[in-house]
Amino acid sequence: MQSFSDYCKYEKKHAEKTKEFVNKCAHENPESLQNSSLHLKKKNLKILIIEDEEGLRESIEEYFIGEGNICETASTYQSAMTKISLYRYDCILLDITLPGGNGINILNAIKENNHPDGVLIISARNSLDDKLKGLNLGADDYLVKPFHLSELKARVSAIIRRKTFNGSNLLLFKEISIDLLAKQVKVGKLPVKLTRKEYALLIYFIANKGKVISKNAIAEHLWGDGIDMANNFDFIYSHIKNIRKKLMEAGCNDYLKAAYGMGYKFDEQ
Amino acid sequence: MKLSARYNRVNLITTILVLLITGIIYYQAISLILTNLKDRELVVEENEIFEYVKLNHTLPQTFESNDQQITFTSATPGSVTRQFINTMYFERWGIDDGRKKHRRKHNGVGEYEPGRGLISSVTVGNNYYKILIIVSKVETEDLIRIIFTITGGVILLLLLVLLITNRIILNKLWRPFYSIMKELRLFSIADSKEIPKLETSIDEFNELNNAVTTMTSKAKHDYKDLKTFTENASHELLTPIAVINSKLDTLIQTGKFSEKQSKLLNDLYGGVSRLSRLNQSLLLLVKIENGLLHDQQQINLRILVEEMIVQFDEIFADKELGLTYTLDDREIYASRYLIEILLNNLISNAIRHNYQGGEIIINLTSDSLIIKNTGEDMELTDKIFTRFHKSSGSEGSGLGLTISRQICENFNFSLNYQFSSPYHVFTISLI
Repeated sequence: MQSFSDYCKYEKKHAEKTKEFVNKCAHENPESLQNSSLHLKKKNLKILIIEDEEGLRESIEEYFIGEGNICETASTYQSAMTKISLYRYDCILLDITLPGGNGINILNAIKENNHPDGVLIISARNSLDDKLKGLNLGADDYLVKPFHLSELKARVSAIIRRKTFNGSNLLLFKEISIDLLAKQVKVGKLPVKLTRKEYALLIYFIANKGKVISKNAIAEHLWGDGIDMANNFDFIYSHIKNIRKKLMEAGCNDYLKAAYGMGYKFDEQ
Repeated sequence: MKLSARYNRVNLITTILVLLITGIIYYQAISLILTNLKDRELVVEENEIFEYVKLNHTLPQTFESNDQQITFTSATPGSVTRQFINTMYFERWGIDDGRKKHRRKHNGVGEYEPGRGLISSVTVGNNYYKILIIVSKVETEDLIRIIFTITGGVILLLLLVLLITNRIILNKLWRPFYSIMKELRLFSIADSKEIPKLETSIDEFNELNNAVTTMTSKAKHDYKDLKTFTENASHELLTPIAVINSKLDTLIQTGKFSEKQSKLLNDLYGGVSRLSRLNQSLLLLVKIENGLLHDQQQINLRILVEEMIVQFDEIFADKELGLTYTLDDREIYASRYLIEILLNNLISNAIRHNYQGGEIIINLTSDSLIIKNTGEDMELTDKIFTRFHKSSGSEGSGLGLTISRQICENFNFSLNYQFSSPYHVFTISLI
């Protein structure tokens, strides 16, 4: 169950860590902070997908590829081990149940060698123990099957933001800038006041820019999948409406588009 | 009826019956022996008479002494057959000096006592006489009585001792049985506690214990198998659901869709999300039943409920539900994960089964959490807590309340439903 409150707690914990680090960096090298956001924008992401289920692996690959991102895949324990020993990735999506071995061992190998790769565990084991075990071993996040690709993307983006410390406190999209530490949104120089959920939703959209996000995925991101409101997602509409209104009042272009009644798309065009 | 009581009853009846029979035999034997003794005495007396007659050719003087009476009556020759008889012995007071003084208080000259007699005949000269010798049997009777009283007393004592020892021994003997009973009563198929091996030297109880242990472990094993199957089946389902989900997510990126296609895709999304929720609920249920979630901690229920209310804010607003709540502080020791699910389920239900513009009331006191909601004006049955029970048109998994009740039971709370018009009331007793 990945509820919004979980996510918030998690973000908060990491935000504090990042803050410390950023302060330290800023102290040692004031220039790095200023250049960083530019750097992040240009950087191509390299992602390793370790997943034995072909259908799922392909979907994830297809969703992540683009914008110059590079995706590599491994479908067995051995090939995964080989890849992590040879190459470094921004983020590794790790399925725990693999043919030929336990994914936890791969995580151990990464951590033992002090590889800086971010690790997101994707697992069919929705057990709290597993989750804690994974996180204790140094995984950055834990996502339980089945999940929406948009959720996965958002999580991966969050991990990469935290991993590439260089100024990860600033998230830019066109004229929108978001200070992730202060949780402040600005359009140009104008601050926009968003509620907690609107803020989370905006970040979610930016992480999945150019993609159609289904209403289901939005509802599950904001309320957790326990909410069980079935096919009635009218309550999402008011959120979307509010975000759009607030952003446009601050002079932002309308990037948020409804997509065929199925979901929404946050797009540059 | 207790086995020991039944046993004691049977035991007592047979013992008494056997003792009665042996008593009678005993009595008969003693009286036979004593009568023989008396008979010999009578024969001696008879011989004495014969001797006397032979010597003196006259009948001896009759006298009464030593509790014996001898009478001679003339009779037609040959009419008397020699025989021993039981008869009465008339004892005259005073003649029999002092021996039975206590009887003197009775009026009269004497009394009849049981006696033993010998009828015989003697010929003195030409006269034929019938001899009747009677001896008192009162001493014999007294003897028998004394012997009988003593044996009776001993028997009663024996019975009493037997009864008491039986009771003590039986209680002790049956102790293993009661301990097995206790274990069986406490037995729960879901928990991991085994029926312990019993320390007893009684074969029967060892056998019983073995049978019980085998039976329970088999039941547990089968139950575990079943649960493992549920768990595995749910697990195996997760991956295909994940594939469908991701393919759908990919599919909607592929281009423009007509309204009809969008509708179909939306329905697909809905179906998959229900399937995945159902699956997760099943897994969760197995996990709770297996007691696999032990992240127990101190939780302030008030704070948790408040967080939940915030979480549901938009949905309350969307359905125009009026929410009133009064929350007191209440600390509980439980799994936060499970309590969140519990609250989530109950509040979701209160929303889902409500009507537009309805009402929800949440009350948290130190001994209960009550969630009331308006809805269909009709009382629900207790079946709502059974698996896969769904009201018509409900889009839930049908497991929400089962899970909720299971969670409550897990922490020794109780979850109950009442209907007090217009509210459906769900109460969690926190005591």
